[in-house]
Amino acid sequence: MKRLLVILFAFALLFGCEQKKDVIKIGVAGPMTGPQAKMGEDFKNAVQLAVEEWNQAGGLLGKKIEIIVGDDQADPKQAVSVANKFVIEGAAGILGHFNSSCSIPASDVYNRAGIPMITPASTNPVLTERGYKNVFRVCGRDDQQGYVAAKFVIDNLRLKKAAVLHDKTTYGQGLADEFKKSLGDAVDVVYYGGVSIGEKDFRTVLTTIKTKRPELLYFGGIYPEAGMLVKQAREIGLDAKFMSGDGAIDPLFIQIAGKASEGAYFTFSPDPEHIPSARSFIEKYKKRFGELGPYSIYAYDAANILFAAIKEANTTDGKIISERLHSMTFSGALGAISFDEKGDVAKSPYIVWTAKDGKFVEFWRP
Amino acid sequence: MFFQQIINGLILGGVYALIALGYTMVYGILQLINFAHGEIYMIGAYMGIIFLAFFTAAGITEQSLALSLLLAFVLSISFTSAYGYTVEKIAYRPLRGAKRLSPLISAIGMSIFLQNYAMLTQGATDKVFPDIMGAAGVDFLGIKITYMQIFIIVVSSAIMVLLHLFIKRTTMGMAMRATAQDKTMASLVGININQVISVTFVIGSALAAVAGIMIAMYYGVVNYFIGYTAGIKAFTAAVLGGIGSIPGAMFGGLILGIVESLGASYISSEYKDAYAFALLIVILLLKPEGLFGGSGEGKV
Amino acid sequence: MEKYLRFIAAPALLSLLFLPFGGLKRAVALFGFLAILIPALKGLFRYLIKHKERFIFKMPQIDKKIILIPILLLSFSLPFAAKDYIVDIAILTCIYIILAQGLNIIVGFTGLLNLGFAAYYAIGAYTYAILTARLGFDFWTALPFSLALSALSGLLLAIPALRLRGDYFAIVTLGFGEIVHLILNNWDSLTYGPNGISGIAAPSVMGISFESLNYYYYFVLVITIVALIIINNVHSSNIGRAWISIREDEIASSSMGINTMSYKLYSSAFGAFWAGLAGVLFAAKMKFISPESFTFMESVLILCMVILGGIGSIAGVTIGAAVLVVLPELLREVQHYRMILLGAGLIALMIFRPQGILGGRGVSLRG
Repeated sequence: MKRLLVILFAFALLFGCEQKKDVIKIGVAGPMTGPQAKMGEDFKNAVQLAVEEWNQAGGLLGKKIEIIVGDDQADPKQAVSVANKFVIEGAAGILGHFNSSCSIPASDVYNRAGIPMITPASTNPVLTERGYKNVFRVCGRDDQQGYVAAKFVIDNLRLKKAAVLHDKTTYGQGLADEFKKSLGDAVDVVYYGGVSIGEKDFRTVLTTIKTKRPELLYFGGIYPEAGMLVKQAREIGLDAKFMSGDGAIDPLFIQIAGKASEGAYFTFSPDPEHIPSARSFIEKYKKRFGELGPYSIYAYDAANILFAAIKEANTTDGKIISERLHSMTFSGALGAISFDEKGDVAKSPYIVWTAKDGKFVEFWRP
Repeated sequence: MFFQQIINGLILGGVYALIALGYTMVYGILQLINFAHGEIYMIGAYMGIIFLAFFTAAGITEQSLALSLLLAFVLSISFTSAYGYTVEKIAYRPLRGAKRLSPLISAIGMSIFLQNYAMLTQGATDKVFPDIMGAAGVDFLGIKITYMQIFIIVVSSAIMVLLHLFIKRTTMGMAMRATAQDKTMASLVGININQVISVTFVIGSALAAVAGIMIAMYYGVVNYFIGYTAGIKAFTAAVLGGIGSIPGAMFGGLILGIVESLGASYISSEYKDAYAFALLIVILLLKPEGLFGGSGEGKV
Repeated sequence: MEKYLRFIAAPALLSLLFLPFGGLKRAVALFGFLAILIPALKGLFRYLIKHKERFIFKMPQIDKKIILIPILLLSFSLPFAAKDYIVDIAILTCIYIILAQGLNIIVGFTGLLNLGFAAYYAIGAYTYAILTARLGFDFWTALPFSLALSALSGLLLAIPALRLRGDYFAIVTLGFGEIVHLILNNWDSLTYGPNGISGIAAPSVMGISFESLNYYYYFVLVITIVALIIINNVHSSNIGRAWISIREDEIASSSMGINTMSYKLYSSAFGAFWAGLAGVLFAAKMKFISPESFTFMESVLILCMVILGGIGSIAGVTIGAAVLVVLPELLREVQHYRMILLGAGLIALMIFRPQGILGGRGVSLRG
């Protein structure tokens, strides 16, 4: 018995003394597999590009940057286990997650461990409303987005009756709620309800909506459901205008909806192709990976800001890095970025896009 | 609105019925819940997209859409039937005569396998089926029915009638009925049981393939997990009508589609999937043999 | 000629099926691969069957202690020897062992095929999550409620379901599992829907929080061991024997004076009780739960653990759970292929060793 214990403790020593490689680990978390794998791929590619540039320039604090990829499959449960894994592996900072429903529970884990996280794409307001000092985002917020959408509907389209649907996720429902709130008394919301992600048949709910005769159908959610919704709405003869958020603006939306996609409106940030500072990134990205994803440029900036903050902080202590992030101004591909007290970017980036002749084009600026 | 919802329900129900037939025929003969059947339907939907894309690339669609569609249908159905045949041979035939649980677990394994096979080869993102018929349709007393919906109703009814005739009138149909009644007796009178079982799987898979392609055309989107929900719903439909009974599966499917549609519009759309299961539990508790079960007549 | 055709028939069929999905190049490659693999496997099989006696060896009768003591020692010294990541997996293994044992009581001891077992797991986890994260209960006050509620749900569902025979019981439990999942997904005001509940409390004993990984590991390990001892004792008690007699022959056991209905109810409630406990431990570990953790696939996974280990065997099911938790972690490199391998593995298991790793005597299942 004693001998066994001795052997076990010898093992313990052996494992305990395992050599650590001299790198700075950065966690990259997003949906790498599953239906939203394309988003995760775009995100990872952009981070990869930033990391390579930094490593070529000599790395960070004299060490190489190494990314550890965590696949949350857009599933909150997986996101938490990815987060736990990152903490255990000693990541110095986190880039991600992608979906709000993943970022929010995962940020609890990072907050406890004091690791800074920057999300490129999670737009739900709750994420930065809980007083966490380590949580940042480089994209906008759904209350800003909902506000712009509502303003567009009231000022530009001048509609009076709207039906609001959402996909019940943190992102979708959050966006739909913000939109509804911003409409105020100016527009009458005749229907409000949720549909399930992965659902294919929306005809029943659309038939109910049709009897209320709305002039606008607003959907908080992502492109597969958005595409089928607008297609089926046209099929049952519901001709209301269609509007959605940044999650729906994807080429697949047009493919799925076909002709029905014409004239759909979306809130999204301005086209990066028109931003001078983004040009060199876009060229490099296209050469290496092909077309840009909607959030590639945000991921690239998020990575660069994090690395710059670590460099300025001159340590991998999460608390100090977070403090640096709050105080610094960074000029990235999207232009100058600084974070407010909550960790949000200072200005609202949203404008309205529309689908025209099978393409997305900028349409209206608030 | 009520009638529009009934129409919506009938279309869904027709598709459920087509898949349910496969469950019910296999259960009638093997007393096996073929969990992989929903996946066969999914394979059928993918086949439709793949072949149509192939013929479009080959330029046939441009010359004649009807020809291209017909070819895609025929090829998809043949391939999907071959899948059904192979699934039976690999996962169920070696387990003939094994304990009750073994084939069921094997079926679950096959279902997991096929789902991930589709994901690995076709990708996890949604595949889009080209929009062929558009939103055009006819208005009838304020109810709008698209041509696609008419197509689905016509095709599913025609297929169900054909299946009914096949089971009632042909020798093979008779052999199937005999096997369902009593396998030992059937083999004693010279029926090749293995052949009957293979035919059952082939027919069931062909029906699922038709359902799969039509649904792919109808919704325009296919992914690797559509088989799961559709499979469970269709299975519910089969039990609802009385598992093993062919008319039962047809009516079970239609009733389920209508219940879902009306429930979603008059109660709550968020619990849409729950109505099927609630209905299933209620039916099983009140009339466990299902609406059409128990009589023995018409069983396969 | 015919012989030659038969030789390539199977590879040809399979690669033809693969053709539309995989494309021509990959289909040809698959054909080549299978044309070699299938005959090779066939040959190997023929060889194995021919020389059967050479490969069959009897499991030597070893004293249980010789196996148990090293396993116990290893489990207790794990946090000293292993990285946090491994301890994390060990906690998960313990939770699944409790879960699988719970299902084993229903499926293995009593012979009722339950396909919605994740529902009880969910009820335990959600009760605990709602009580601690939303109502401010602590671990020890929330625990009895969670356990009672899952056991009660096991009992209540079983009352109507047990009137059904055959596969119908399995189907009703499947339907129940789906309904519970749908309620979790849609009752937003209680469960926060698909977004899940976070901020779940960790257990503490006399002011010492078990939140840290290693403490929590010991906490779960001790509970698992206690659970295994209790289940083992119940298995060999009168109740356990009544369950087994129902599994083997219900009519005979009822004519022996066993009230089969009430014993089946005990079995369902007792199994659900352990699922509830596993749910609490899972929620307290993750500190976050969402409906995604309690799908039909989860029920299937737990069932696989029971079947892989050997239906009805406590030691076997423990091994089955451990294998199915650890194996996917080892296969992380090929994580895309994880599920497809699980599917193929299940089919192969049913064909070649339906009784599982340690399942000995034939266990008949009627549901």
